[in-house]
Amino acid sequence: MDKYKNKFYPNYFTFPAIAIFIVFFAIPIAAGFILSFTDWNINRIFEPKFNGIKNFIYLLQDEYFLLALKNTFKFAIITTVLIIVIGLILAIILNSAIAGRSFFRTLFYMPAVLSLIVVGIVFTSVFKMDQGVLNQILAAIGLDFLKADWLGNPGTALNCVIFVQVWKWSGFAMAIFLAGLQGISRDYYEASRIDGASKMQQFRNITFPLLAPAFTIVVTMNTIGGFKVFEQVYVMTGGGPGNATQVLGTYIYREFSKGTLGRSTAMGLFLFFMISVIAVIINKVLRGREVEM
Amino acid sequence: MNKNRAKMQKMILTAVMCILSLLIIVPLLIMLLGSVKNPAEAQQFTLRFPTQWYFENYLYVIQKGGIGRAMINSVIITVSVTSIVLFSGSLCAFVVSRRSSRYTGFVYHLFLIGMVSPLQIVTTFGLLKLLNLTGTYTGVILIQAAVQLPWTIFTLSGFIKGVPRDLDEAAFIDGAKPGKLFFQIILPLLKPILATALVSTAMGAWNEFMIPLYFFNTSSKWTMPLTVYNFFGQYASNWNYVFANLVLTALPITTLYLFCQRYVIEGATAGAVKG
Repeated sequence: MDKYKNKFYPNYFTFPAIAIFIVFFAIPIAAGFILSFTDWNINRIFEPKFNGIKNFIYLLQDEYFLLALKNTFKFAIITTVLIIVIGLILAIILNSAIAGRSFFRTLFYMPAVLSLIVVGIVFTSVFKMDQGVLNQILAAIGLDFLKADWLGNPGTALNCVIFVQVWKWSGFAMAIFLAGLQGISRDYYEASRIDGASKMQQFRNITFPLLAPAFTIVVTMNTIGGFKVFEQVYVMTGGGPGNATQVLGTYIYREFSKGTLGRSTAMGLFLFFMISVIAVIINKVLRGREVEM
Repeated sequence: MNKNRAKMQKMILTAVMCILSLLIIVPLLIMLLGSVKNPAEAQQFTLRFPTQWYFENYLYVIQKGGIGRAMINSVIITVSVTSIVLFSGSLCAFVVSRRSSRYTGFVYHLFLIGMVSPLQIVTTFGLLKLLNLTGTYTGVILIQAAVQLPWTIFTLSGFIKGVPRDLDEAAFIDGAKPGKLFFQIILPLLKPILATALVSTAMGAWNEFMIPLYFFNTSSKWTMPLTVYNFFGQYASNWNYVFANLVLTALPITTLYLFCQRYVIEGATAGAVKG
């Protein structure tokens, strides 16, 4: 049996994919372990010198790095929570037989296929000073006094970027929740209805627990995506005003552009560890909640 | 429950959905309408129709914005990334889902890292220098392929697990070789999931911004998103041109989505729900 397997599913089938992945993804991670302990610099790209944990000490003393770290956490947590709530509500509504539901599904999923650059630039026009769409709406409903330079104000800029992320990914979460909902057998609802359960009880005791696998996926993907955020910040605010919307993705890019490669690598490695640890924790916690159907 | 109340409820929900869908439609409509207005009107960012239709905005953008070149670059990169990912990914997924050995366990965990980890930009940059691939299509294509492979392999192997092994055994008894088994028997059965993987890989490659931004240094190799971003920097006050440019970038991928949406939405969830 084993011999037949080896012959039939040869390991060399995996080699092209493995080779590409190891060379262009895994080796750079491994190299990061080494090079983040050096003074690697763009001017002497082939002669990095070992400098211990100096890069990491520098980072922990750098107020802008700490600010970027704080913003990244804030971004990842708030966007994930909002995307789950909105995605779940959309999925539940569009799982019932309302008019035009396939149109709504197609429409709400649409932002997920658009480039973040396109979305980011369109929303720059929404949040602009003076004639921006949001300010026009506020003026139209008599809330003139709320008009603001949304992207130019340190207090609101990060919220705008958060809004764009939620706008882009809620429909994707909806699709995954919808698939989860469609996998739940109607019988459970029938049986509980006969036992006199209310809609709320049905949601709490049937829908929510049986949706756990979809829940795990949505939380994991959006948290990871949130920590990796780069494009929308780069396009909409460039990390500004000042450093108000600086996130790890944009800060790594800034250090990279300056040519201090060792420090930038250390940040990349830091992000890698942070995301890995968080992904493992999320999976441990949420997988435990999943029940066998 | 009485019927009228249920009907009422559905109508309210439909109404709520209509209002929410405005959140998606209005920004996109402002972009579409703005792309055929004159600069002054485009800057008003309203849903009003243009007093005069300026379709020549598109011509201007294509001539001045280097869109022709960028479109070709984007097509080259998207087609290459997609073919590499689908070919090597399906071969790999086939073995990973059919065998369970120490080696396939290693492969599985390796790609799991790829699902979680961000791309290590700086060391990748060093690697390209070392391999003499800095600023080349080859470098950018292979990095993008490496980034996209894990997700594709997980989606495909989830599907292959559901393809019965009887077929393999029948082919084996007939004396077929592994290559023949895979390409002539298994691959045709994977059509729906391959369509999904194709569309999502193509979207990822077309929309990718960070990798070309870091690894292309000359504008002659820029892809659509990069060109658009640069154009936006130069013509920030000419919203009519910016919008026309955005429409051109979004159009190919949106068309692909609308034609293949069955595969896109189902596929996004295929790997997910089986977990």
